[in-house]
Amino acid sequence: MSALPTGDLRVFAQYERDFTEDVDVAVVGSGPGGAVVAKELTDAGKRVALLEEGPPFTPADFELDGALSMARTMREGGLRATRGTVMPTMQAIALGGGSLVNSAICNRAPDFVLDDWCTQFELEHTTRRDLDPHYDAVGKFLGIAPTPENVLGQRNLLFKRGCDALGYASEPTERNVRGCRGSGECFTGCRTRAKQSLDLTYVPAALRGGASVLTSVRVERVVAEGGRVRGVAGRVVAPFTGRPSHRFRVNARAVVLAAGCMATPVILQKSGNLVNRSGQVGENLQFHPGVAMMGVFRDEVTPQFGATQGYQSRHFLRDGFKLETLWAPPAVLAVRLPGYGESLKRRLAMIPHAAIWDAIASCNRSIGRVRARARGLDPNLSWRLHPQDLRILAQALWTLSEIFFAAGADSIVPGVYGIPEEIHSRAEAEVLRTRPLEVSDIVIGGNHAFCTTRMHGDPRRGVVDEYGKCHDVENLWIADTGVFPRCPSVNPMWTGMALAHRTAQALAERL
Amino acid sequence: MLGWVLFAIVVGYGVARVAVGHPRPDRRFARLARGEAAFLAAAAEANFPPGGDIMASGFDAGIPAYVDRLLEVLRPRTRLQMRMLFFLVEHATLFFPAPGRGGFRRFSSLRPEQRVAVLEAWERSRFWQRRFVFASLRAILTLGYFAHTPVLRQLGLAPLAIESPVCEADLLYPRIGALPESIPYTRDDLSEPSDGTPLALDGPLDPRYAEGAP
Repeated sequence: MSALPTGDLRVFAQYERDFTEDVDVAVVGSGPGGAVVAKELTDAGKRVALLEEGPPFTPADFELDGALSMARTMREGGLRATRGTVMPTMQAIALGGGSLVNSAICNRAPDFVLDDWCTQFELEHTTRRDLDPHYDAVGKFLGIAPTPENVLGQRNLLFKRGCDALGYASEPTERNVRGCRGSGECFTGCRTRAKQSLDLTYVPAALRGGASVLTSVRVERVVAEGGRVRGVAGRVVAPFTGRPSHRFRVNARAVVLAAGCMATPVILQKSGNLVNRSGQVGENLQFHPGVAMMGVFRDEVTPQFGATQGYQSRHFLRDGFKLETLWAPPAVLAVRLPGYGESLKRRLAMIPHAAIWDAIASCNRSIGRVRARARGLDPNLSWRLHPQDLRILAQALWTLSEIFFAAGADSIVPGVYGIPEEIHSRAEAEVLRTRPLEVSDIVIGGNHAFCTTRMHGDPRRGVVDEYGKCHDVENLWIADTGVFPRCPSVNPMWTGMALAHRTAQALAERL
Repeated sequence: MLGWVLFAIVVGYGVARVAVGHPRPDRRFARLARGEAAFLAAAAEANFPPGGDIMASGFDAGIPAYVDRLLEVLRPRTRLQMRMLFFLVEHATLFFPAPGRGGFRRFSSLRPEQRVAVLEAWERSRFWQRRFVFASLRAILTLGYFAHTPVLRQLGLAPLAIESPVCEADLLYPRIGALPESIPYTRDDLSEPSDGTPLALDGPLDPRYAEGAP
């Protein structure tokens, strides 16, 4: 057992007055970006303050009910949505950020994505060879490994069976998990403590290195004077209600913003439109929009058992989508089922015989923006799904239906307006391929978000360089998925952590 | 003068149609107004009628109480949006009537078969905005329905009892709202991490979901 942390962790109940701290580096946000930066900088001997607006959650604080869990762990109660194309999207508010309530999927960005980033965004040091050492370091620390077979469960194995029958490549998902028992509770917090979320791993490691971890503090602005950043300032906020109380200021030689790609641009905009000579702060917002489908099997699937998203197929990445298995609190899954009254109850009763699989799409043509609201730090998100990207989602839906029937499903519930609510054969499912879809015909969810402070080799076209340093200010850095120049086509957490790992090393060298 | 009297009558009638005459709920709610509770009870019963493949009805599930609890934990802006949704569906039938006699009434004052017809019209509307409103309402009702533990137990989907190992982080973080002094663990309490043994599906349920749980 390692030595216990010696750093300073503060929670809401401990704040009694306004306060000021002096450190080398203030890191804003304790999710996969910020926690990695904090740990690596403390390892390099820097004095670090890690600031997080949310509280730390213990297993006793986990809420098993889906909606109540989201209301406690997600910003805007989990009911955030984009304007333009209306699409729900989420951002966690907790120590450890999204890693507390995601399904721990870890993928390296594919070669063709990194090649595209380097070519299109004038990057010289973001190749596979450049990033692999950082992926490796993070992967080793978190124990990233393929999902073990004994906790896959029928829901995942049926997906494999369907893909195998059609000749589509698929594999157990690599995850930051040690000792998974297949509870399927990733989205409400892992009660088995198997998921190696950042609050259990990098944050304690940062504390062990002597970092100050301040929770329930909302950074409202970056303090800049004379062309340099001097620190950050904000308010202590109560958990869940967000009610502000004491003021604080953290003076720092450098600031790293890792508040997430929907919050970092808001902080910059609220700080006098800082580092925006390029005009790119808050622009280029991209998502991996997702669609899901339920398939019903004759035999019981017991879908509640098994790794939450234990299997995936990257077979269609170049076509623009990735396929995954899925489980979530039953109530959250049930809200996607069509109908009402008797028919709805009948479909809900099918869930024990059902598997739910989803697709996430690379929608590089669908662009939006993040703007600060007049009051508060919740972002105003506008985004529109491009018609060509809609075609990718339609193809993904058709492919999911193919896999379901190849796996032996009796029927599928596609959840698409204007086509039958239940489809009983692959031939019937042709309608998914042949009928032109409108954006409003399908239910999409905004998974992952990127690019709002993108990296670019040309300071006129990007906010940060490829190490995460802002082009306009020497000592302000960004380490969240906002720096991605384009969506990575796969789940972004590992790439975000690898880039953050590199950012920390670059920053440590300069301080 | 007569014009003012007529105007006052019309306004009074309008206010009465919108705000007066809801039945008194059988319990007090922290957030829900009487009219909202009546609407939610009516919508829950139409969405989850008695009988069928799952025994519990929307009424049995106590959905208004669940929504009241949900409203309690939401931030004011989100809470307002949700309440506006309830108001919209409850009163839309004053302008776009339900089929049959007496269709120009609030949703909660319609007959059961009229409520079902209204829901059907919202769900099948060619205007996506109407479908979106319906889907949002149904989502809230469904969340409440599944929070009723007998529903999850009948489907075999109730969470199992899991004993969380005590790890390093448990020595660092108090429960939300508490002081670090309240952390009940010391180094001696640290336990072995999970060994990856799959959960037994016939194991005991989490106490919050077990038969007889409050």
